[in-house]
Amino acid sequence: MSQGKAKHTGAEAPAGASFRLTLDGTDHSVPITAGETLLHAALAAGIDAPHTCTQGRCGSCMSWLRSGEVTMANTKALSKRKIDRGYVLACQALPSSAEPIWLDFDL
Amino acid sequence: MQIGTIESIWRYPVKGMRGEELPHVYTAYTGVMGDRIYAVAAADGDPGHPWHTGRDQEEFVLYKASYGCSEDLLLPPNLDATYSEWEPGIDPIYPDADAFKVSIETPEGVTYDDIENPAFIEDLEKLTGRSLRIHTTQRGIFDARPVSLISPAVAAKLGEELGMYIDKRRFRANFYVDWDNQDDPFYEMSLVGKTLKIGEWLEVMIVERDPRCEMITLDPDTAEETPKLLQHLARKHSGDAGVFAAVLTRGRVNKGDPVILN
Repeated sequence: MSQGKAKHTGAEAPAGASFRLTLDGTDHSVPITAGETLLHAALAAGIDAPHTCTQGRCGSCMSWLRSGEVTMANTKALSKRKIDRGYVLACQALPSSAEPIWLDFDL
Repeated sequence: MQIGTIESIWRYPVKGMRGEELPHVYTAYTGVMGDRIYAVAAADGDPGHPWHTGRDQEEFVLYKASYGCSEDLLLPPNLDATYSEWEPGIDPIYPDADAFKVSIETPEGVTYDDIENPAFIEDLEKLTGRSLRIHTTQRGIFDARPVSLISPAVAAKLGEELGMYIDKRRFRANFYVDWDNQDDPFYEMSLVGKTLKIGEWLEVMIVERDPRCEMITLDPDTAEETPKLLQHLARKHSGDAGVFAAVLTRGRVNKGDPVILN
């Protein structure tokens, strides 16, 4: 099973033009701008992505990074186990490479 | 006006581990007697919330923590005297520290007769790869407030919406309340800011909603994760389930006690 990579550097990340998001069995192509989190981009696109605190604490936006790379400034809601499994917090996730991102909320 | 009935009373001797149901219990200004007296702290944890829980090790919710003298930790021995002779404001005396000794049984059936025995932490460190220590205080170790309430109707409603069984124990409340209002499964949300009398003595103010985290995704009997429960709660119910309370007047609570709206 392939999965993406989450880093914790919080470094400024280059933005991709769009990323793939899966929610409720539906795939979306979500536009994203530089410095924007995956969650923010999804909400701006009108997608009802799960979230509550948006500060990396509650874990409501936990999702599976199927491909691509992101950085996260705060991973309080993610255990090492979950990070190793490829889970990310969409509210903290910033694209960090040109590799296409696929974020899956259907856990 | 009576608005509900205490359906069950719970406490959690060790934060994050399995809880125990009680027939009655003393509730102090610092919460239910014997609730979350111990916690496991992780050296690599967040300084503000260093606790090792099911968020870090899912099967931690299956660990069974038991007081050696559970009966002694239901009511302070001089409780009646503080009511009859010292009213209105004398706090009763808690049992000595020895009474709070807790034994642990792991999901694999390994038992430790005292959580403070170094063998427990040493084995848990080997299992998790974390540097851990036991933290204890008779005041209780809470994330937010000392007392939590929720109706079993919340679990039933969420289960209905998700098409699966949701065990009320996922929500790890102290008091589960059957509300007389059967129309609103989330009735307790309307009580924020209100004062309730529970049983003969206890008075609490409902101070805020309980914003939920990953802990509710863990099945209390299997530790199996259901992330869609937290996702659903966030999308359909603002991420909140149950309420927190502050204690205004301490006292005994019994299963079946009436809940009165003051």
